Formats: sequence, structure tokens, C-alpha cells
Amino acid sequence: MLLELTITLAKVLFIVGITVGFFAPVLTWVERKQSAIMQDRVGANRADILGFTALGLFHAIADAIKMFAKEDFIPQGANRFLHTLAPIIAVIPAILTFAVVPFGGQYELWGTTVNLVISDLDVGLLFVFAIASIATYGYVIAGWASNSNWSLLGSMRTASQMISYEVTMGLTIVGVLMVFGTMKLTEIGAAQEDFLNWGFFLQPVGFFMFLAASIAENKRIPFDAPEAESELVAGYFTEYSGLKFGMFFMAEFIEMVTIGAIVTILFFGAWHIPFLPSATLLSWLDFLGTNWANLILMFIHIGVFFAKVIFFIWFQMIIRWTLPRFRYDQIMKLGWKILLPLSLANILITGLVILAVN
Amino acid sequence: MAYYVDRTVKMTWWERSYLPEILRGMYITSRHFFVNLFGFIPFFLGQKKKRPIFTVYYPEEMAPIPIAYRGRPVLAINENNLPNCVACGLCEAACPAYCIDIVPGENTGKQNQVERWPKEFTIDYAVCIFCGNCEEACPEEAIFMSDDYEIPMMNRKDMLYNLEQLSVPIEKLKDRVEFTRKMYGKWNY
Repeated sequence: MLLELTITLAKVLFIVGITVGFFAPVLTWVERKQSAIMQDRVGANRADILGFTALGLFHAIADAIKMFAKEDFIPQGANRFLHTLAPIIAVIPAILTFAVVPFGGQYELWGTTVNLVISDLDVGLLFVFAIASIATYGYVIAGWASNSNWSLLGSMRTASQMISYEVTMGLTIVGVLMVFGTMKLTEIGAAQEDFLNWGFFLQPVGFFMFLAASIAENKRIPFDAPEAESELVAGYFTEYSGLKFGMFFMAEFIEMVTIGAIVTILFFGAWHIPFLPSATLLSWLDFLGTNWANLILMFIHIGVFFAKVIFFIWFQMIIRWTLPRFRYDQIMKLGWKILLPLSLANILITGLVILAVN
Repeated sequence: MAYYVDRTVKMTWWERSYLPEILRGMYITSRHFFVNLFGFIPFFLGQKKKRPIFTVYYPEEMAPIPIAYRGRPVLAINENNLPNCVACGLCEAACPAYCIDIVPGENTGKQNQVERWPKEFTIDYAVCIFCGNCEEACPEEAIFMSDDYEIPMMNRKDMLYNLEQLSVPIEKLKDRVEFTRKMYGKWNY
């Protein structure tokens, strides 16, 4: 009992540490640096500690200090309670989704089975989307409670965009569910041990639609109509400053990690290395003894999983710094007139193929 | 003439289907990303100048400045360690901002003394507009626009430079002297 508790606690600490402690601050730096390199600039490199700049990595620390030191401003006529509550509602679901995201398989270590997922829910996939859509309330409340027209417009756009793309996302996942026959994220991950069994090869159209819809869910360029700097100042978080603004920012970056993780699990073979099944790796590591071989395999799998996640974060950033923003009606048109029929057709064809194969 | 965007342009089916064109754009941006990313490797190995990104790390490095650049005006000091200036006052008269102030000194009959020299020569950089008229007006090749543009001060009084601060050996201004001869020599007043 105590051992289980310790293992669970270790997993929770690992996930929270790697998302909030590592990815969220480092991604602010990555975002700047990657956009700079893509645009033939140099990017952040001025913040230093004793003359040592570390490629501008200290800008993340400088950002944090700035946000702590800023005035926490609540505009006149705003609903103080909801204005404070909104960023909390926005950021907590982003972290919470990681409760069901597996970052490795099952390993036998000294007689205990370690399952590298905090909570192996039977409806893991549904849980992710249920929790992720709660974050929408945070954005809508933020806009409503700010007593500002920009914010209200931004939050209305958020709401409509979320509804439109949630539909596509849900229908895209149906295709994945039909292929793998389970909603457990661990089982979906385990089913993709064979390279040709990866979701990307079974659901190629589904992958692109899912990626587009999830970027739209995250409100990043090219789907950043809710924020739209040039139209709505900053959208729903116009009236936020200091750490509350920082929480919205953090939510966005953590959601990027979530999207990377979900895409990796559903479509890119989770923690598996192509053409290298776990059994082969284990036989190579056999000279260390079963326990140590399993432990090293576990770390390899965690590394592979996060490498894939980092690739998808990179991919999202490339998209964000390549494409211009869609007009608002174009977003709606793309959502309802292109992605929705395509996802329905995807389900139909997937069903027909499964029927034909069986 | 007003410029109108032609919104009736017919896109091909290939262009209208979003995805290939998006992938093409992403190919371009990621190509830049990787080329620059690997271009950073020789930079870290110490080759400061040969990198594909041309951003200049300003306080540490300076951009090369063309010879025609008009920085702060300075006084040329000749080989005898004396200013070329003869305190004729032409630059003072030519200055549209009235930032030059000259107090002349004159030969009183001593041997081995120059005929005329500036006792005091001040330029107030807080007032100077860097037009280069003083350089153009000077008949003695005494005042030149240097390539130094780093003259902000914490105090306006500090921006009033005296003769000593303004003096620059003529060897350092060789290129600019050449340039002014070429530039103003062909104008016949």
C-alpha cells in the first residue's frame, strides 16, 4: 500500500515537475528562440547571471520575476471574484489532463508492476476531452468578468471556436477508437508496438484533422481569433496583468504539451521505437538482469515518449510562426464546412474498411 | 496611385486545397530554421563573423560603417600635434544649429609660432544636427565627420566638447579625408 502510494506520488511529482517546472518556462524561451532562428534573427540572449547568458535561457526566470513583481490589476466595474477565478479555471484543467496520459508502458521492477500513468482510467480519452473543455469556462469567464469589450468579444469567439472544433475533434477520435477498440490510453499506446500499427498509418486523415482541431482548441495562430492582437488587443486576457496573465500564458504552453502527448499516444506510437519492439530491447539488455533491464527500458521509453512530444511541440511552433491568422469566418467555414464533413467521411470509410477486413 | 488587391484571382484546385501550400510554407520556414540552427555551430566554436544570421550583437560588436557616414564632427590634429584649424570661423558661420564656438588665438610676432589657431574650440553635441556643413565649409581640412555615433550622455553639460576632447589624430581620419577630397573637390564654387 505504502509502496503504491510512493510510486503514485513519484509519478505525480514527475508529471507536474516536467510540465509546470520544465516545459512551461522552457517553452517561453523555445518560442522566442525558435521564431527568431526561423526568421534569421538571434532572439533572446541578453538576460545574464554574472555575464553568463546560457543562450538566453535566463529570460524565463526574468519573465517569472517580472510577473511576480507586476501590479495585479483588476479593472473598474469588473467582477472581482470571477476575474480572479478565471485564470485558475483555465490553468488547472491543462495540468489535470496529464493524470491519464501514459508516458510509458508497464514494467516489472523487483516484483512490483509499475504502470507509467497516474490514473489508468477506462475512459481516459473521454476524460482528457471532458477536462480540456472545462478550460473553456475559464476563458469565457475571464472575458465576461473583465468589464471590457475586447475581452468579451474574445471570449465569445473562444466559445464559438471551441464548440466548432470540439465537434471535429470528438468525431476524429471516433475513428481512432474504431481502429484500436479501446478508450484506455495505455491500451491504445500498447497496441502501437508494431510500426505499421501506428495511428498515423491507420488514420492518416484523422491525424491531420486532429492536429488542426487541437491547435484550434489551443487558440494558437493560425486559429488565434480569440486573442487576435491586431483586432482585439489581446482578447479574453486583455485586462489581466501579472501572475494572472502568466497563468493564462502557462495554460497555453501546458496545453501545447498536452496536445503533443495526446497526438503522440493516439497517432505516433506512444513510447515505442519504430522497428524495435520492447522484447528485442529487453533481450539486448538481458545481461543486466531482468530488473535492471526493465528499469533502463523504462527510462528509454520515457525518453522516446518525450522526444516525440518535443517534436510535436516544435511542429506546432513551426505552424504558429509560418501561417497567418485565418479570418474569423474562415475559421468557422473550415470548422463546419470542411473538417466536420471530412471527419464524418473518415468515420464512414474507417467503418467500411474494418467491416471489409473482418 | 492607389493600389488595389485583385480579389477575383482564380486559384487552382491545388492552391485552394490549403494543405499542400501550407506544407510548402512550412518547408520554407523549417529550412530556414535548420540552416540557421546548424549555422550556429561554427559560431559557438569561435567563428564570430561567419554565421548565416547577420544580426550584430551591438554593444559587443559594431556594424561596419560606410565612409560617407556622418558621425560626430571632430578636429583633425596634424603631425606637429597641433590642430589643422586656423580659426577662420567658416564652420561657425556654416553651422545651421550654431553649435560651434571658436575663440581664435593670433601670432603676436613670436618665432616658430603658427599664424592663427583656435584657443578654444567647442562643439555642443546636444545641439549639433550632424549635417556636415562644417566639414564642407572648412578650407583647411581641419574638421571632419567621424564614424563615432556613441555620444549619448547622462548630462547635457557633458555633451559640450572642448578642443582637447574633439582632437583626433589625422591618421585615423585618412579615409574620410580622401572621401571629402573626392566629394567636395569636384564641386566648383
